[in-house]
Amino acid sequence: MDMTDITNTDASLDQKLKEAYFTAGQGQLIWQRFKKNKSALAGAWVLIALILSGIFAPFLTPYDATIAGRDKDYMNGAPQIPIFWDDNGFSIRPFIYSFERSRSIKTNFRWVTEIKSELEDRRYVTFFAKGQEFKFLGIKFERHLFGVDRGMIHIFGTDSTGKDIYSRTMTAINTSMAVGTIGVVIAFFMALVIGGVSGYYGGKIDAVLQMITDTVKTIPSIPLFMALAAFVPDTWSAEERFFFISVVLGLIGWTTLARRIRTHLLSERNQEYVLAAELCGASPGHVIRRHLLPSFTSYIIVDLVISFPYMILAETALSFIGLGLKDPVNSLGVMLQNVTSADVLLNYQWYFIPVIFFIILVLAFVFVGDGLRDAADPYSDAK
Amino acid sequence: MLQFSKFVAVRAALAVLTLVLVSFIVFTLMELVPGDCAERYVAFKSSQGSVITAADIQIERVRLGLDQPYVQRWGSWIFNAFQGEFGDSCILRVNIAQLLGQKFWLSLGLCLSALLLAYAIAIPVGIIAATSKNAVLNNSLRLVSYLGLALPNFLLALMIMLFSTVFFGDSLTGLFSKEYRDAPWDYDKVMDFLGHAWLPVFILGWSATAFAIQTVRALMSDEIGKLYVTAAAARGVSGRRLLMRYPARHALSPIINSLGFDLNRIFTELPIVALILTLTEAGSLLIEALARSNDQQLAGAIIFMLTASIVGINFITDIILALTDPRIRRSIVG
Repeated sequence: MDMTDITNTDASLDQKLKEAYFTAGQGQLIWQRFKKNKSALAGAWVLIALILSGIFAPFLTPYDATIAGRDKDYMNGAPQIPIFWDDNGFSIRPFIYSFERSRSIKTNFRWVTEIKSELEDRRYVTFFAKGQEFKFLGIKFERHLFGVDRGMIHIFGTDSTGKDIYSRTMTAINTSMAVGTIGVVIAFFMALVIGGVSGYYGGKIDAVLQMITDTVKTIPSIPLFMALAAFVPDTWSAEERFFFISVVLGLIGWTTLARRIRTHLLSERNQEYVLAAELCGASPGHVIRRHLLPSFTSYIIVDLVISFPYMILAETALSFIGLGLKDPVNSLGVMLQNVTSADVLLNYQWYFIPVIFFIILVLAFVFVGDGLRDAADPYSDAK
Repeated sequence: MLQFSKFVAVRAALAVLTLVLVSFIVFTLMELVPGDCAERYVAFKSSQGSVITAADIQIERVRLGLDQPYVQRWGSWIFNAFQGEFGDSCILRVNIAQLLGQKFWLSLGLCLSALLLAYAIAIPVGIIAATSKNAVLNNSLRLVSYLGLALPNFLLALMIMLFSTVFFGDSLTGLFSKEYRDAPWDYDKVMDFLGHAWLPVFILGWSATAFAIQTVRALMSDEIGKLYVTAAAARGVSGRRLLMRYPARHALSPIINSLGFDLNRIFTELPIVALILTLTEAGSLLIEALARSNDQQLAGAIIFMLTASIVGINFITDIILALTDPRIRRSIVG
């Protein structure tokens, strides 16, 4: 009995693998294929890291990202990079230097920073430092990941009002994700209803709905968006504005997804497996739930991931020209509002540091979306 | 021939219908903006020191025809719009057609050149990407087209400005040098214009190119595995001749079809790029109208004209496709 077991191990292992393959759910199959795509997997890790750092921003950043966290002694200050050693020797704890700022007629009334690099001017970086109180999930905390023992530390520098650019960048990731999520959810809902009706009923309803979709697609989106954003009265609070902008993004962004859902429904509706189910006496509800929906949920998820960066970029562009979000809400667009001035271009280039994070965020989304698209395509193995 | 002119007529009617629909959406948006032209004008008057009463606002409303019902005003607006007449701007108090005139054609020219540039690069590169088996080439092309998305035009414009200010001390902005701004068009002005215009065209073309490369590559790789290509190869056609005569012809007709929407994408980015590069001659007027002054009359006219040119391009490409693609020609003529 044991003997037969051993001789059959190879065959049964093979059998098991095959069985696992053929009985695997759609999610498992997609995950198997996705894992093989190295760049998509890397993108996924980067994305998770960025999202987590956005969520835990209040803890990861030393200061409040709004005006409450400003450093009024260090406006338009250059990034302070912690170092471990200098001419005065090595230190286990990284440190930055103190500075003295002055301005006079000699410096053309521009703040000039004089760094003091003596041993006693070192400001040591502390971890889990006590700082400004912040609320997270309704609980009050006052420890931040890092800080300095005296004064303040700005690893990405500060802007013209003395706000810490590092703190703002991390918070801005959160804002972008929130705008993207609200926008995508609304766009998804509209696309599902309009595309679903269009594809399910076909015929005249389809023709009319497609005409409307095409018309909305013809209007250039940013000008349309600007026209909509111009409604926002100046008296609205930052939060109301934020919500309105996200909703508008969704209301404009549904056309592509609606078209895809409609095309997919139209083609799937005439497939043999749907006919077979109908011939077996399945009700329309059963056909939609058990056959049509599972056939394209993975496509929809992929489409959602792909449309995410477009939402983020649209918000950024809009805030950048001053029609989107406004202070004290932090987003990349808000942070970039003043960078076109020659003063910033020539003297304060660290204003551009957040751009790097956003390029990485969008790139990560694109890599993951592309990887998911390949993984969700059941024929991608054959190619 | 008769069928063909019928086809053209139907397409033209559809284009006009789309424009009417668009005009309805745009007009409704303009109506929804809080406040109307009369209030805005009167507010301007009162800032000049005149005392304004509610009756004055009402008189101004009647003068501008704002007291008439909504549908009637939409009707007359669209009727005039099709004749290129958009009335006066709410704030600037000048005729919109005159105000836009040259600026609109310059903007359209910039966008069309960007579109041309995009496809001039994307078609050969996309075909190479689809046919080449070189992994390094493919991956680097892929990265470039990803960057086209991740580094949108306005960020690219900012980066170029940053770079050129730091290294050349010139921020490369504007469309004309000072001395040519109001000069009549002559050879020198054209040269000066071209010397400035390459940058906006490059920036506008940047993500359009990335996008186009992906489209061309996807369409090409779909076509290249098909049996008619294998059959042609078996008949002894090979190399560039095979690619150009068989799969490329099939792959390119959907691209011609979507040119209108490509132009749409470029138009979308124009106002922001124009703002960064301070192209006061193009595009940024829209931001001016919407963000700064809330001038609904001007904004509506600009959006309508942009959409009209997109619909126009869609119409032209439909006709071109019907003329060049035998499959479509056959389906029309029957």
